[in-house]
Amino acid sequence: MSDMALSTPRPAPKRRSHGSKRTLRIVQVVCVLIIALVMISPLFMLLVASLKDDRFQILADMGSFKAFWVSDPTLNNFVEVGGMSGDLAFGRYLMNSLIILFVTVSSGLVINSMAGFVLAWGRVPGKVVILALVIALYVIPQESIIMPLLIMVSRAGMTDTFTAQILPWVASPLYIFLFYQFFAQLPKELYEAAEMDGASPFRIYRSIFMPLSLPAMATTSILMGIESWNQYLWPVLVTQTAYARPIAVAIGTFFGQDSIFWDRAMAASVLMMLPILAFYIVFQRWFVSSFIGTAVKG
Amino acid sequence: MASVQFRDIRKSFGAQDVIRGVTFDIRDGEFVILVGPSGCGKSTLLRMLAGLEDMTDGDILIGDRVVNDIAPKERDIAMVFQSYALYPHMTVEENMGFALKLEGRPKSAIAEKVRAAADILALGPLIDRLPKALSGGQRQRVAMGRAIVRDPQVFLFDEPLSNLDAKLRVQMRAEIKDLHQRLGTTMVYVTHDQVEAMTMADRIVVMRAGAVEQIGKPLELYDFPANTFVAAFIGSPSMNLLAGSVQDGAFVTASGARLPLPAGASARAVTYGIRPEHMVLSDTGIAAKVVVVEPTGADTHVLLRVGSDDVTLLARDRVDLAPGQTVHLAPDLRRLHLFGADERRIERA
Repeated sequence: MSDMALSTPRPAPKRRSHGSKRTLRIVQVVCVLIIALVMISPLFMLLVASLKDDRFQILADMGSFKAFWVSDPTLNNFVEVGGMSGDLAFGRYLMNSLIILFVTVSSGLVINSMAGFVLAWGRVPGKVVILALVIALYVIPQESIIMPLLIMVSRAGMTDTFTAQILPWVASPLYIFLFYQFFAQLPKELYEAAEMDGASPFRIYRSIFMPLSLPAMATTSILMGIESWNQYLWPVLVTQTAYARPIAVAIGTFFGQDSIFWDRAMAASVLMMLPILAFYIVFQRWFVSSFIGTAVKG
Repeated sequence: MASVQFRDIRKSFGAQDVIRGVTFDIRDGEFVILVGPSGCGKSTLLRMLAGLEDMTDGDILIGDRVVNDIAPKERDIAMVFQSYALYPHMTVEENMGFALKLEGRPKSAIAEKVRAAADILALGPLIDRLPKALSGGQRQRVAMGRAIVRDPQVFLFDEPLSNLDAKLRVQMRAEIKDLHQRLGTTMVYVTHDQVEAMTMADRIVVMRAGAVEQIGKPLELYDFPANTFVAAFIGSPSMNLLAGSVQDGAFVTASGARLPLPAGASARAVTYGIRPEHMVLSDTGIAAKVVVVEPTGADTHVLLRVGSDDVTLLARDRVDLAPGQTVHLAPDLRRLHLFGADERRIERA
């Protein structure tokens, strides 16, 4: 019987030829390039337009490949935006945005991570219901709660303040859930070991779980930071004067009733993008660094 | 150091009882091992002692103090977890000193304590490393160090060697036993590995399905198992247990094989127990067919078939046997175990 088994010819394994493998690879690369091009082209167009001096030319170039080419680059638009003297200097709008970003993100990290920690590890009655509610809240779009929120802020006398632009967005179901997910997957023994060591729940959060949640903190910082930086509708509604207005709203002033200053709007947009780009570069390395896996088990 | 008392401990999840009235004492300075198959409730019992798990009924005493409602940190105990549970972002020194830091001890006192514990466990050169830079055995030692620095009244170990490879496990077994001899602190240790229990414990508590089956010194359990469960659980390879009945002064198995009995053996016996190491090959005796021969070097395990029952023989010498061959076995009748219909051991008259 074993002889028979040995003599039975085996079907030759199917092998993809070297040529077809290469074709597949080329198709893959071309696809990736096309996708990348589609993603990058608006940004590139923005950068090119910001270097053109004539706002009518920018408009005229828009429909053709000229939109991606500048024959006579100039930084005039940036100089003009920098020296802008409307209700507030451009730098002040930038500062407003930075203040709102910094306070929203830093307080958001603490509040959302604490909420996530309690939901993951706290002895809270009705925890499952609270968690379900948090997830349910996430699907409600921001725009749909904006009117009631506006009434609340206005009744509280907070219109035209930084507080009104920060407070409503500090706690977020998305980030609470993100932290909850992160904390819940940490090993139970870690919590119990700290408990046996004599740590209170707050101490366990502060000394053990929070330092371990750097990847989640980085993700939240980036997402929250971008969200805060790009806020437009809410600041427009909640600010009546330029005092606390962020940069996104300031750019809107280039779009006047009679004319649109495309050149300055483009330069201002580039300037607005720079800090958030720097912010991303600072935090993105945390995305990949995670040393929790090595904590438990040999 | 302190004694520990479990008094009628019960625990149920809904209608399911996981601990069903456990009562026993652990003496001051004793090394007691709770052993049993998965799901027998041994870890639950340990976690209750630690205060990490609530109990449904009963009392736990550490020293003279009932600790039922006392928080884990107030119980003056330390626990070593199966997964080590080291804080990944803290160095060995910080890991070991964390509990003392929480107590508010001065830095110099913490450093001194940590150094002393590190010396006991040969961790001195590793004190500045993060857990990820340590081997499994070293992590295990740090976990023990974290317990030692606290100078607790009772040490708890929850399957601490399960994640280590076989060689390291043997080494750490000796280290833990040595640690107990040096510190003299009460230790409660949970494992599913009966070899660990036999080699380390002062006394073993064998558990099954939430109840204690037998408590005793390792060799007591080996020599006088209280029932068929303990008989099969303690000892490796495990005891041969054959079902049948006593007829005409011999034990007749279901398949008709006749096994010898000592004079005056109880007629109530329905299970015939003989350890693999308490039988020898002989010219006459129980006829058996060789199925598999497994030489380990030091000795040889031979799987045989007696009638329709599988029987293991542990030969201390090398044996020249081939599968299919018929041999004869002579059991040492002084070391025979008989069990009744209630699975309990029948003591000799």
